[in-house]
Amino acid sequence: MQLFLQQLMDGIATGALYGAMALSIVLVYRASGIVNFAQGEMAMFAAFIAWQAYAWGVPLWLAIVIAMIIAFIGGALAERLLIRPFGTEKSGHLPLIIVTLGLMLMLNSGAAWIWGYLTKEVPPVYGSGGLSIAGASISRQGLGIILTVAVGAGLLFFLFQRTKLGLTMRAAASNPESARLSGVPVGRMLLFGWGLAAAVGALVGALVAPQLFLQPNMMASLLLYAFAAATLGGFDSPVGALVGGLVVGVSENLAGTYIPFIGNEFKQAVALVIIMAVLLLKPEGLFGAKTVTRV
Amino acid sequence: MSLDTDLKQDDTSGPGVESAAPRGGLRGRFKSLRVVQAPLDAPTWLRWSVFALVIVVAVAIPLNSPTYVNFDLSMVMIYAIVGMGLNLLTGFNGQISLGHSAFFATGAYIAAVLIKDGWQYLLVLPVALVVCFILGYLFGLPALRLRGLQLALVTLALAIITPALIKRLDGITKGQEGINIFLKDPPVWTGLATDQWVYLICLVAVVIAWIVTRRISTGRVGRSLIAIRDNELVSQTLGVRSSRTKTAIFALSAAYAGLAGVLYTYVVQFVGPDSFGIALAIAFISIVVVGGLGTVSGAIFGAFFIQYVPTWTASIGDSAAGFVYGFALVLFMFVMPFGIAGLVRAVLRPLVRRIPGRRSDLTQSAKTG
Repeated sequence: MQLFLQQLMDGIATGALYGAMALSIVLVYRASGIVNFAQGEMAMFAAFIAWQAYAWGVPLWLAIVIAMIIAFIGGALAERLLIRPFGTEKSGHLPLIIVTLGLMLMLNSGAAWIWGYLTKEVPPVYGSGGLSIAGASISRQGLGIILTVAVGAGLLFFLFQRTKLGLTMRAAASNPESARLSGVPVGRMLLFGWGLAAAVGALVGALVAPQLFLQPNMMASLLLYAFAAATLGGFDSPVGALVGGLVVGVSENLAGTYIPFIGNEFKQAVALVIIMAVLLLKPEGLFGAKTVTRV
Repeated sequence: MSLDTDLKQDDTSGPGVESAAPRGGLRGRFKSLRVVQAPLDAPTWLRWSVFALVIVVAVAIPLNSPTYVNFDLSMVMIYAIVGMGLNLLTGFNGQISLGHSAFFATGAYIAAVLIKDGWQYLLVLPVALVVCFILGYLFGLPALRLRGLQLALVTLALAIITPALIKRLDGITKGQEGINIFLKDPPVWTGLATDQWVYLICLVAVVIAWIVTRRISTGRVGRSLIAIRDNELVSQTLGVRSSRTKTAIFALSAAYAGLAGVLYTYVVQFVGPDSFGIALAIAFISIVVVGGLGTVSGAIFGAFFIQYVPTWTASIGDSAAGFVYGFALVLFMFVMPFGIAGLVRAVLRPLVRRIPGRRSDLTQSAKTG
């Protein structure tokens, strides 16, 4: 029982990160209708920036804020320079998938070029040590992650549901054409959506870096879980992304503990199974809206 | 001038270039790269002589080249085979797969394990072809229901977990340690060294793959692949059984990757999990994109690109190759989305037009009025 509780707790802590990463994927998907395969590498790059600032003597929290700001600008630039030029074409997703893959490779190799493949030590934001809840122990960092993600999600919810900016963004995402006719600056909203997604990703990168050890390939598996979370929740649902993240985090941890074949090494398979199962059984995800094709 | 009329004809299916009949000059030529280039309509005798010439050169090369040249060129042919299969899937059929490294790995590991068990190494080829076809079919079944982004997502997930899966199955695959194999010496009557022999096996494979791919892409099946890519609903209305075709082409391209994987084992004589990760999967995509989506010859250009770029960039740094791949993917999408094959077609077209005896000389008047 205690093992189960412990795994559950760990699952929630990692699941919160998957959820936050999935959230940034969902933000981009809602804004541009594409999955940004470079999202993980953007977060990794931002984490490196945070580490670099920290190494230069900036306080850790300030370093993370700086990285988030730079990520915001970088995300907006990526949208403007790489994605928008393809925006009006009807040639489908293929060019955009390839462009984001190219961006992914460039960021990955670029980070390796600048900082090398040796892992960097990043101190946990919330300090080391832990506390114990109902017999299971949770690290301060784990608890801090859960709280940060909760607060961040709350802020985003507030932004989207209670502010003019959020309303405009939702309008631009749900129907760009009629939003443009109603005077919504759709282009600027897309920029903002991408920037916001990149900033969320940067936060995730900085939070996860102490556990995964900062190095250019750190995000590959995290991105996989985030995809699973976003698929499970539905690609157009921010709430779904967070719930999906928690479900994926918990089920991955439990499967790793209780299914001997999977064990600790092969937990990634859980993500693939979840993605396949959801796409086959309920392609729109738990919280997503059904789409209808019309000709 | 001839370029202009040319573009107007090809413009009908060019994505994104609505009424851009370029004015000629440098800018016009540059723009023409963003337009679908129809296949060069070379006369049959020219096609066959180019084909024969290439074969003669390709057979002559290994006989008086150092080992490393043969090794590199064998790898080019292996990548070309993967590229042809992937191009049938992505270029002609519009399904994107980022997971073909998994089928490549399957082929490579089937070869390594069976050869280690004492199988004759050529017998491994049909086994790997069949296994990868079946695996591709099973994995492609969801392709009936998934499209575009979702398929990319699932196959990317497949590519990411492949190394982990290989390590997990360490009872068969020896996990992280990998498997070394030794090929038996080539038959004495050939008088060839092992690298030359393996090169020639790869050459035979790539020629067969070339012929099969051409037959498929220019024939009935090819037309239905393109129809599904361009508008699935309409093609279904016209009687194309799209789900069956999509699954079959996914399985076939997986078999191509499996075949290439076996050849990889012949050439490298070592398999290990970390060779088959996401980097390889994206390199495969680079073959198709750099070479030219929806062309058969593109796979060969693309294969040269991914084999030789790391060699050229090695002096800059370890990660420079990855950076160049990524940059090339973005650049090609922006500047010439139809790849090197598109460039070659655009450059050679004015020349080919002057050669008499082309097929379209006979049919053109009926087509364009």
